[in-house]
Amino acid sequence: MRNPWAQTGNYRTSYEQDTTIFANYREIVSVGLLLVALCILPMFLERSQVLVLNFILIYAIAVLGLNITTGYAGLISVGQAAFMGVGAYTVALSAPHLPFWLTIPLGGLTAAILGFIVGIPSLRVKHLYLALATLAFQEIFVWVVGRSPALAQGAAIPVEMRNFLGLEIGFRNHNYFWYYIILFVLVLMVIAWRNLLRGKYGRALIAVRDNDRAADAMGMDPGRTKLFAFALGALYGGVAGGLLAYMQRAVVVEEFTLGRSVALLAMAIVGGLGTVVGSLLGPAFIEFLRLYMERLSEWMKSNAFIQSITPAGVDVASALLPLSFGLVIVLFLIFEPRGLYNWWRLLRSYFRTWPFRY
Amino acid sequence: MQLTVEKVTLSFGGVKALSEVSLEVAKGELVSVIGPNGAGKTSLLNCISGFYHPSSGRIAFEGHDLTHASPHQVTQYGIARAFQNIELFTGMSVLENLLMARHTFGRYNLLDNLLIYGRAMRVGVENRRFCEEIIDFMELEPYRKTLVGNLPYGVRKRVEVARALALSPKLLLLDEPMAGMTLEEKEDMVRFILDIRAERGTTIILIEHDLGVVMDISDRVYVLDFGQVIASGLPEEVSRNPRVQEAYVGVDHAA
Ligand SMILES: Nc1ncnc2c1ncn2[C@@H]1O[C@H](COP(=O)(O)OP(=O)(O)OP(=O)(O)O)[C@@H](O)[C@H]1O
Ligand SMILES: [Mg+2]
Repeated sequence: MRNPWAQTGNYRTSYEQDTTIFANYREIVSVGLLLVALCILPMFLERSQVLVLNFILIYAIAVLGLNITTGYAGLISVGQAAFMGVGAYTVALSAPHLPFWLTIPLGGLTAAILGFIVGIPSLRVKHLYLALATLAFQEIFVWVVGRSPALAQGAAIPVEMRNFLGLEIGFRNHNYFWYYIILFVLVLMVIAWRNLLRGKYGRALIAVRDNDRAADAMGMDPGRTKLFAFALGALYGGVAGGLLAYMQRAVVVEEFTLGRSVALLAMAIVGGLGTVVGSLLGPAFIEFLRLYMERLSEWMKSNAFIQSITPAGVDVASALLPLSFGLVIVLFLIFEPRGLYNWWRLLRSYFRTWPFRY
Repeated sequence: MQLTVEKVTLSFGGVKALSEVSLEVAKGELVSVIGPNGAGKTSLLNCISGFYHPSSGRIAFEGHDLTHASPHQVTQYGIARAFQNIELFTGMSVLENLLMARHTFGRYNLLDNLLIYGRAMRVGVENRRFCEEIIDFMELEPYRKTLVGNLPYGVRKRVEVARALALSPKLLLLDEPMAGMTLEEKEDMVRFILDIRAERGTTIILIEHDLGVVMDISDRVYVLDFGQVIASGLPEEVSRNPRVQEAYVGVDHAA
């Protein structure tokens, strides 16, 4: 009898096994350990550090969605932040009337409907033209919010949730409470994501991207599949936006602008398109990059020497952040288009075969 | 008649790819369509399979009107097609390519797919078993998990036919399935075609340049030239037809 714990590869012997999520016992154990680690992690962190984690996990959900639309279906979208916004505003408007576990799915659903509509140009146009259509949606979203009195014209709308199951969520444990909620939602979304891509709905996405004529001949409706990809990707964005609204206790339009959409796309690319691991690594990488770049630019602004050598009127410090973003995207596209996921994969296979190197 | 094509005309700008083409195929028949390059053979298949829509005429299959149907609708009526210019999913393995063809078999909804995976799993297992049978049938076992992009041309042609077969079609459209093959591969393909018909009773429309093969295995033959049917009937009748001999004189159709 083969020792299941010692297996280093794919020993699947039946069709059922061949379609399971995990390749072997080690993978189950490592995912389990990761979950345990994520559950106890906040106990060692301060409130402000948990806040950073919360942002990362929320963006991870949005990036998972982007990985359906762009990563799997190959439809470029630069409007994911706007879909987050749709979810966030839906939550902000419905939170006074509905419990939070209803408002978040509602946010996802509203975003999905808009995603469906925004996806309609994908029936006719491709590539860059499609990117422009989603860009238009992104800009229209910000414009409409900025002109809607019902949405405070983009200024902060408070989102209150003080109690959960009769327990009060105080100021001190707010971030911790939402950390666990976000983590729970993320796990659900990851499971759904994995299930999707081993079932026929997910396979249709890949088929249409790979060869839409052949997909059509296989009985798949390419148009419907594209709209579905947009709707589902937007649903993930909407859910992420809803969580963000609660976590920040408010909704402001600045969170959902073009810059954020580009950052989400950067996260997906840096992490590695079309992978769960990449959807976690990408947001973490970009968020930490942002954090350190902000610190660096603060320091530069307060440092007299640097101020004295930069020409007057040139604000290097503020340019640092967009500059580093652009650089990272370009460098990854050129040198590691498979993203951080590939590094993780190499690292993993190194340890799996350790001490043998082949 | 299982399939009727009635006075179908198809034009691209000024060029008439098909003019008033009529064709009838009965259930279980093996009908070949021959003709020189550019005669309109592929265009005819494109009209039947919904990729092109004729500007006039009518196409019907088992009571369904195909004239304006889209390819995925046509597929659902039970018509499958192997493309002349191989149209496989190059990023996928042979098995995955075949599984794509099972897309519409075994229904489950999106929620099954996303959350409760049991039903989707059962359907998946059944489809997988079906595809494995076809892989055995088409003798593709050694390539099961190979990416089709890495396969030699002759094998890719065979995968193309296998994938069409995985759609469980009632009518199979084969567009030059043996073009560019070695003699041995050709003989294999002829054997597969005859087996498909014998074992599954599938109606087959075959486009083929090799007149030896065509005359050998077809029940009936249609001859297209410049978008028109210039002759049709039993193989021996057609090969004796002076217009056919004329159309083939001086035309290099060795390809
Ligand atoms: N999409 C298209 N646009 C313009 N013209 C086309 C198109 N498809 C086919 N044609 C023209 O229609 C005519 C018939 O082409 P078709 O591909 O049907 O020929 P065929 O009989 O399949 O030839 P072959 O033996 O080379 O495969 C040709 O003159 C071709 O140039
Ligand atoms: Mg042709």
